[in-house]
Amino acid sequence: MTQLVLGQVLNGAIIGAMYGIIALGITLTFGITGIVNFALGEFMMIGAYATYALAERGGLPYPVAVVPGCLVAAAAGYLSNKAFFRFTRNNLVNGLLVSIGLISIFESAAMLLWTATPVEMHFVLPGALRVGDIGLPKMKLVVFAVIVVVIVATYLGLARTWLGRAAFAYAQNPEAAMLMGVHTPRLETAVMLYSTGLAGLGGALYASLYSLEPAMGGVYVLKGMEAAILGGIGSLMGSLWGGVILGVIEGVGSILLPTAFRDAYGLAVLVAILLFRPAGLFGDE
Amino acid sequence: MARPRRGVTVNSAVFTLAVLGLAVTSARAQDVVKIGQIEAQTGANAIYGWMSSQGTALAVDEINKAGGFKVGSKAYKIQLIALDTRGEPKEATVQLKRLIEVDQAKYIFGPFLSNVFLAVRPYAGEFNGKILMWGGATRIHDYVGTPGHEFLMRTWNWDAGNNGFGELMVDNLVKTTGAKKIAMLFQNDQGGKVLEDIYVPMFKKKGIEYRLDYFEPGTKDFSAVLAKIAAWKPDFLFPSYADSYLYDIVRQATETGQLKKFFLVRGSLGPGLKNKDGLDEYMVYVPKYFEEAEKKDPKVAKFVKAYKDFYKRDFPYDQAPLCSASCYDHVYMLVEAMKKAGTVDDPAAVKKALMSMTYDGLWKIRFDDKGEAIFNFDVVRLKKGGALEVTHINPN
Repeated sequence: MTQLVLGQVLNGAIIGAMYGIIALGITLTFGITGIVNFALGEFMMIGAYATYALAERGGLPYPVAVVPGCLVAAAAGYLSNKAFFRFTRNNLVNGLLVSIGLISIFESAAMLLWTATPVEMHFVLPGALRVGDIGLPKMKLVVFAVIVVVIVATYLGLARTWLGRAAFAYAQNPEAAMLMGVHTPRLETAVMLYSTGLAGLGGALYASLYSLEPAMGGVYVLKGMEAAILGGIGSLMGSLWGGVILGVIEGVGSILLPTAFRDAYGLAVLVAILLFRPAGLFGDE
Repeated sequence: MARPRRGVTVNSAVFTLAVLGLAVTSARAQDVVKIGQIEAQTGANAIYGWMSSQGTALAVDEINKAGGFKVGSKAYKIQLIALDTRGEPKEATVQLKRLIEVDQAKYIFGPFLSNVFLAVRPYAGEFNGKILMWGGATRIHDYVGTPGHEFLMRTWNWDAGNNGFGELMVDNLVKTTGAKKIAMLFQNDQGGKVLEDIYVPMFKKKGIEYRLDYFEPGTKDFSAVLAKIAAWKPDFLFPSYADSYLYDIVRQATETGQLKKFFLVRGSLGPGLKNKDGLDEYMVYVPKYFEEAEKKDPKVAKFVKAYKDFYKRDFPYDQAPLCSASCYDHVYMLVEAMKKAGTVDDPAAVKKALMSMTYDGLWKIRFDDKGEAIFNFDVVRLKKGGALEVTHINPN
């Protein structure tokens, strides 16, 4: 039993990191621009299918296919922002409506292009690392490492560069930031590009582990939202920790309790934490 | 202005009426039979509905391009109104209402999903005798042939009983592998409960030790539950019923080497083939093993070609067996039944004709006395490395 639980702590942390990358996109978009993008899961789906197409159909090596996969997702994010999201700043309902519309459009388009039949990449890095009775697929470890590096790099980029300071200034007071020389429309576009590109990266990594289907984005955006709230909206490292905690709770909960309620275990802990820390674990009050 | 002469006016009116009359007669000569379809074409459980709607559209197109069909002296074309339920019961109920009340469709294809069927059943029942519903849903078995459900027919083989594919497969599994411990892993929804209701008594009867775990719909990572199941050391894993989950379950189970033997009564061969090097055995019920049938049966080869031409895409070999559910053959079968019954407007008479016929298409389909389809199917055993063994079964 100890081995089973320990195995799921490690596995849960890896799965949680996947939630974390979506949470990072949510926290960046909402925290900085005030735009609610519930359609981030769809950009993840776009990144996943683009990477799949380039690697499996286009014959590109997987690590090479990931880059254009992210760019395709970011390009879709750019167009969505120009056409819809930029009009929804600080308006939760409008953001939600635009997101619902985009989810429907992207999902239907994916159905037309790829059908409902799941597609699956060949093993990028086959095999599992075994320690005692614990077996962890090697690719999962790679995915975990990539996500941690990306989230830490994003944190450092925002904390230590002019662009990062400009972004925080914009988040606090857009008008004042504009008066101080920050080109706010460009910054808003950059944040949308980056967050949807991150979702695309999440999708590209996801494609190396799981089968793809047009509706895949829905579940992950919910988990990402939970992780962002658990970590604290606006906290970059909080999104990673939120995701990891959520993943571990789900994994260990599934071992000790019925698997059928896996999602509920994470939600129950989220509610319990919010009772004591309404702004999340790493969020500002 | 010269006043028109009375004779000319009357002649013009007669001519106009004659032209209108001809137009009406011409329209009637090409009347339309509406087929409504409610299937999940998108969403997590879309595979069944998607393939069903693909095959139906193809058959309708073929029939219409051939000039339609004749019942008596009248020619008819088919209008297909295929709606996407997304697997959502509420949406399906609204769509069925539209099909019956607005579009006046008397023939309904679908649903395949049991949760959708249970939701639409009370409403559909209000039109008993006025519509004919052809669905594949497993829960239809509980109602078909019972009073008040004369509108209902089931287009999918039943799992249990003398002709049941599940019973035959479990027998085969026990006899050929000596399996004594089976772990079931189903999604926590109507489909999963249906499988529990059917297979738990079957395993008990045969003295097979079993465990049952449910997972949440939408799950993609099964590591935790697979680890839990592997610790129980089952002989076979009996997983889920939808490919959207099977691909991940089989991949994750074999990647870590935790579980290598699979037994399936729903889902396709695809997940097994994809992971053929990591598994020991993958035994699956397949309404038809198309890869083999295409080479041997001209009808299947013609269907595959027609599909590729119509949709201009590769043929989905792993999903094609689902065409056995309210799909391609059934459109042709329905047309034959209408011809036999001599009517397109009386679903009860058409049902009577259906019950008395055997249709020889991609499958050889007939209905039992309750209105449940019986058709030939294949059992495919995939071994490590990809070796295949296909058994053809023709139920009595």
